Amino acid sequence: MNALKERVSAPIGAVSQPILAAKRRRQLHPFFFHMGPVALCITSVLLIGLMAVLYLSQVGQAVTSNQRIQQIQTEQDVLQRQDQDLTNIIAKEQSPSYIADKAKHMGLIPSDPKNVQVITVKNLLPMQNNEPTVQP
Amino acid sequence: MNKELQRARGRQMVVFVFVCTGMLLLLGRLYYWQILNGPRLARLATDEHTHNLPLKAPRGLIFDVQGHLLATNVLRDDVYTQPRQFRIEYEHDDNAREKWAAMVHTLHQVLPYISESNLISAYDSDAWTLRVNRDPIEPEQSQQLRALSARLPDVFLQANPVRSYPGGDLAAQVLGYVDTTATGQYGIEGQYNTRLSGKDGSITAETDLNGHPLTVGASSGQAPVPGANINLTIDSTVQYVAQTALVETIKKLQAQSGSVVVLNARTGAVVAMAGAPSFDPNHYSDSATKNGCINSVSVYFNPTLYCTYEPGSTMKAVTMAAALDQGLITPDTSLVDNGTIYFHDADPVSNWNHAPYGVETMTQVLEHSANVGTAYVAHTILGPSRYYSYVERFGFGQKYGIDGPEAVGTYLTDKSNRWSVTDLTRQAFGQSISTSPFQMAMVYQAIANGGVMMQPYVVRSIDDNGHVTTTHAQVRHRVISLETAKKLSDMLVSAANFNKQATFPGYSVAVKTGTSTTQGQDADQTEASMAGFLPASNPQYVILVKIDRPSSTIAGGTAIFGGTAAAPLWKSIAEQLMWHYNVPSDMPTGA
Repeated sequence: MNALKERVSAPIGAVSQPILAAKRRRQLHPFFFHMGPVALCITSVLLIGLMAVLYLSQVGQAVTSNQRIQQIQTEQDVLQRQDQDLTNIIAKEQSPSYIADKAKHMGLIPSDPKNVQVITVKNLLPMQNNEPTVQP
Repeated sequence: MNKELQRARGRQMVVFVFVCTGMLLLLGRLYYWQILNGPRLARLATDEHTHNLPLKAPRGLIFDVQGHLLATNVLRDDVYTQPRQFRIEYEHDDNAREKWAAMVHTLHQVLPYISESNLISAYDSDAWTLRVNRDPIEPEQSQQLRALSARLPDVFLQANPVRSYPGGDLAAQVLGYVDTTATGQYGIEGQYNTRLSGKDGSITAETDLNGHPLTVGASSGQAPVPGANINLTIDSTVQYVAQTALVETIKKLQAQSGSVVVLNARTGAVVAMAGAPSFDPNHYSDSATKNGCINSVSVYFNPTLYCTYEPGSTMKAVTMAAALDQGLITPDTSLVDNGTIYFHDADPVSNWNHAPYGVETMTQVLEHSANVGTAYVAHTILGPSRYYSYVERFGFGQKYGIDGPEAVGTYLTDKSNRWSVTDLTRQAFGQSISTSPFQMAMVYQAIANGGVMMQPYVVRSIDDNGHVTTTHAQVRHRVISLETAKKLSDMLVSAANFNKQATFPGYSVAVKTGTSTTQGQDADQTEASMAGFLPASNPQYVILVKIDRPSSTIAGGTAIFGGTAAAPLWKSIAEQLMWHYNVPSDMPTGA
């Protein structure tokens, strides 16, 4: 009561001071939470810590992914090399010289044109050229 | 103010000045490092862990007409040692030299071709790295070295892309090769080097200790553009047949060199182009001192395009074509052939062995391969202006630009300074004119194709990362009329049937032999050739074979002519060609 009296009887200029203090206090209350300076500090530290943990975990994940990508790339290089080698081997084994050599090793003999028999078919006309000659 | 206070303030001022000076010094130093040297230091720091890594574009592949690989890429290892590093590592080891020798011995067991003594002496070398192998090592050797890595300290393998030609020397002179700087040389590799090479890319990124780019952090780059794949018109099987038959013939006749051209008579597509001697593009450096073309130029050149020769009697078809096409003769036009013909303005011309044939038709002139008849046609019937216009139309002295270096050949015309009428009479039967085997094959392509010369091509299509460019058969120009081509074909069929050197059951052939000698050389130093096409009634393929300098000691000296040296080879290739492509017989009754 005494305090109330003092307040009521106080001059007009002095009333504005508590309002300023209240304003300042409100500035320390972000997000409408009523929080003291100590709590705010702890919360800030916790938040920063959380962000650091998040950042570090992301970096960690990226590093792990990077290692995995490098592993995959190494595997890809090996597979690519094997693929190129196999393609080369297939091409070699499909080449006429390889086939001819293998055939010789297997005891096969190249066909002799003299052994070809031309069958005579009576009254058979020669094949006509149906392809038009290219004209300039 | 008392003295104590004044002294205290003075001390405070001194401290303050010291602190300010220190701060100023620190600020100055900060300015020096951060502002003046900041960008340079930042760049140095970035360079420390950021690298620009080149990304090599894979070279385009080359396929034959059946889709078989003719040129591909493989990764092969190079072997390096580190003598200086080795010495540092074994600095305090008294047996370091012995250990180096043991390592070299192990290497030598895997790579027997390396010089053990040279590598042992490399111990004293100041080089950080020393390449051990000359050519890239085989995959089995790489595996062996990896398995022996514990016994091979300071030896490492470096993988490099290497061009591989699975067919070995198959079509080597058509393909060319890729040198150690990854540049295509000669043939298709040389002519299409830019398109085959693609465009290298690069990536700029932070790297780990091993130089591998990291996904964390900024990176930028450009992906490599792979080289274009090239599909050729060459048929590996026909190429192999032509190549092996040519090599066998050269060996049998103890000849110096030779060449074969097989063309599609309708389209001008090159089916086979073979030369001997040849080389293996996988080991091209082994043939660096080897020569082809009668030992005159490097073996790397395609002899069918680059090696000129005097075509001899195969040229008679051109002389006849010119006269027939201008209506100056018919196949039955006759002359009296006494074995030698004399001109008032040119040197006399004689047949082989001065053989007289009496009254002979133009068809018989080709059958006998009579020089007198053709010289008479060129000199008396045609004359220079009417003759040379046809020589030009048949493509002599012109490039086709289909596959690497090409020679055009030369001949004098009535417009040349040093020309004489003797040149004309000699050119009529293929002397005093030089041409490439390919140009001569194109002459017969025009005759086979009803008088129309096609634009020859060896590249069927180019696949540039999905953008495919296909070569379509293109007319170059008409050389002679359809009627002339038919008449000339019949005359060539008569010549083939008369001599029976290249005929075989089931198919009619139109051919002309050629035997030429080079001025200044002995008469038995010949270039024997045969050119023609088949089936004559429906021409599908043109074949030209040429054998350089067959030995006169074989078969009593009779195997040096077109009809004896080149004809059996022509026939052998022609038979295989007909079977390979299942070409319908045009003489089913065996007539």
